[in-house]
Amino acid sequence: MAFLEINGLKKRFGQVEILKGIDVELEKGGFLVLVGPSGCGKSTLLNTIAGLETITSGEIRVEGRAINDLHPSKRDIAMVFQSYALYPNMTVAGNISFGMEMRGVPAAERQQAIDKVAKVLQIGHLLQRKPSQLSGGQRQRVAMGRALVRDPKLFLFDEPLSNLDAKLRVDMRIEIKRLHATTGTTIVYVTHDQIEAMTLATKIAVMRDGEVQQFGTPAEIYNNPTNLFVADFMGSPAMNLIPATIGTNGNALSVVLQREAREPISLPMANAPAGLSAFQGKPIIFGVRPEALTDPEGAERNASNIATADCFIEVVEPAGSDTFAVTNLGGKGVVARLRADANIQPGTNTPLAFNLTKAVFFDPATENRIL
Amino acid sequence: MSAITTLARQPSGGVNARIVNRIVIYGLLALFALFYLMPLFVMLVTSFKTMDEIQNGNMLALPQAPTFEPWIKAWSEVCSGLTCVGMKGYFWNSIKMVVPAVIISTLLGALNGYVLTKWRFRGATLVFGLMLFACFIPFQSVLLPMATVLGSFGRFGVKLQNATGFTFGFGNPTVNLVFVHVVYGIGFTTLFFRNYYETFPNELVKAAQIDGASFFQIFRRIMLPNSLPIIVVTVIYQFTNIWNDFLFASAYAGSGDVMPMTVALNNVVNTSTGVVEYNVNMAAAMIAALPTLLVYVLAGRYFVRGLMAGAVKG
Repeated sequence: MAFLEINGLKKRFGQVEILKGIDVELEKGGFLVLVGPSGCGKSTLLNTIAGLETITSGEIRVEGRAINDLHPSKRDIAMVFQSYALYPNMTVAGNISFGMEMRGVPAAERQQAIDKVAKVLQIGHLLQRKPSQLSGGQRQRVAMGRALVRDPKLFLFDEPLSNLDAKLRVDMRIEIKRLHATTGTTIVYVTHDQIEAMTLATKIAVMRDGEVQQFGTPAEIYNNPTNLFVADFMGSPAMNLIPATIGTNGNALSVVLQREAREPISLPMANAPAGLSAFQGKPIIFGVRPEALTDPEGAERNASNIATADCFIEVVEPAGSDTFAVTNLGGKGVVARLRADANIQPGTNTPLAFNLTKAVFFDPATENRIL
Repeated sequence: MSAITTLARQPSGGVNARIVNRIVIYGLLALFALFYLMPLFVMLVTSFKTMDEIQNGNMLALPQAPTFEPWIKAWSEVCSGLTCVGMKGYFWNSIKMVVPAVIISTLLGALNGYVLTKWRFRGATLVFGLMLFACFIPFQSVLLPMATVLGSFGRFGVKLQNATGFTFGFGNPTVNLVFVHVVYGIGFTTLFFRNYYETFPNELVKAAQIDGASFFQIFRRIMLPNSLPIIVVTVIYQFTNIWNDFLFASAYAGSGDVMPMTVALNNVVNTSTGVVEYNVNMAAAMIAALPTLLVYVLAGRYFVRGLMAGAVKG
């Protein structure tokens, strides 16, 4: 039995179904990230776990106990809001201890708890300040302090980093991860940033239009996306999703990619997925991540199935750590990720290595993965 | 090319035009300020003059021999109708009426605004619309129905008196006025607070809920301490309105020693016996106006700020 279980959760506002039957579960000490574009229902889902929104049907269980009818304060949860939601009229210490005060914890005990949390988050010198006197990062810490001090069963984070500037966001991301590692708390975290999702999560639920598109570990989501949406949403730069057809090359199947003003590329598939033969001569979507499309010298040595083909390089983007090259296949811009020092010139034909063991295929009609 | 030359020429012409603009604007402002302050000036000056000086001198002239006599007389001796005990009793009548009425109507308005924005219920918009409608009801149309209601309060008070020996305030004219002003004021105070709380972040309320604060704890600990600007606006608005009200005061507490200040002042000025003591009348009028002036001076700078804060969204 999982620590947090959500079964068949539905939420309706009038006629509009916001959540259409959500099933996810999380083990104790896990870090679940709900990720998706705006309006996908991820924040609503978090609010229903917090008890700030009622649910239409379904069940939320923590340690086997249904909590969906409990008041937010009785659920043993703590929440960090996007806007931090610090009480402007109270000091930092007052903010952190407000919940304890409401639960009638004696003043001495409250002070102890404040000091302990202040030490963990290094905000001891800020305790007597008002939120308006703090910087964004400091407010973020105080908001986390207010959650930490409760020592709850479950932490809920609602896009906690989206109000910070880029550098601070990375720092705080690492800090949250460290906090999770040292305290071993169970966290549900909402974000629209797929990098946050990948870096923080032990489990990711990719959501769209009130449905979970895929639920799994970051590696599963990244390497084995179940449909086009997940493949496109997760990863930066995004996975190349190239319209292609399946042809035959002797006994083996091959992937045929159209090129502008030249004969198509044909990539032989050694270990084609079982379902692929049914698509012979039909259009499919060929998915390959930029790092699986690289210069032959930079290609993975022990990959079993690498095909090399000449591609016309339109643009080269040196990014410092890597060099990205853009070519055109199947009528779409396709990004290849090369070593930083790869010798590549725009406007030339250059051989690129396709790591076909990492390739995925989608049915363009259903947008689902072909297994 | 021509565009460039106009641009180049503009500064010199622009500066002149700007100076002229400034002069016109400030001149007009000064003129209207003067015009607006004139009555106050005349009142103040007259209230420090002796009767001789008023009858023989210029209305705008400064007092030759300033005297506090009219003020003292207005405070403790002047006749309102047939009783000659000065304004002081009526002044306290007004205070006793205004302070509770302002506090109660402001608190109720805050509570309404809190519920209408943070605890939305089915039909909340309709309820707010109806409360808004209360702002448009003319005083006059309320007079008679309210008199009936207050009459029944009075009869209930008599019953209580007979049963318990105490009326609990039912039938007391001051209590009646407080009741009338609270009822009439709720529409306005609700409007103010509702618009202010509309922009108040919901996440604060959610955070407090998770922290385990109850409905009233959130109101008292989170909402009210962050409402200072709108509280000031509401208090000023309600204080001036209720203090200056004449219609309800004369209708429901228009005689005897329960009169509020406005009614008493009217009686003082309208006394038809003997010489009209302009200096005393002016002093009495000043005394009647001072509390509202004081409220503006003390809290005025929040007034505009708060009005704007409430007005941006809603």
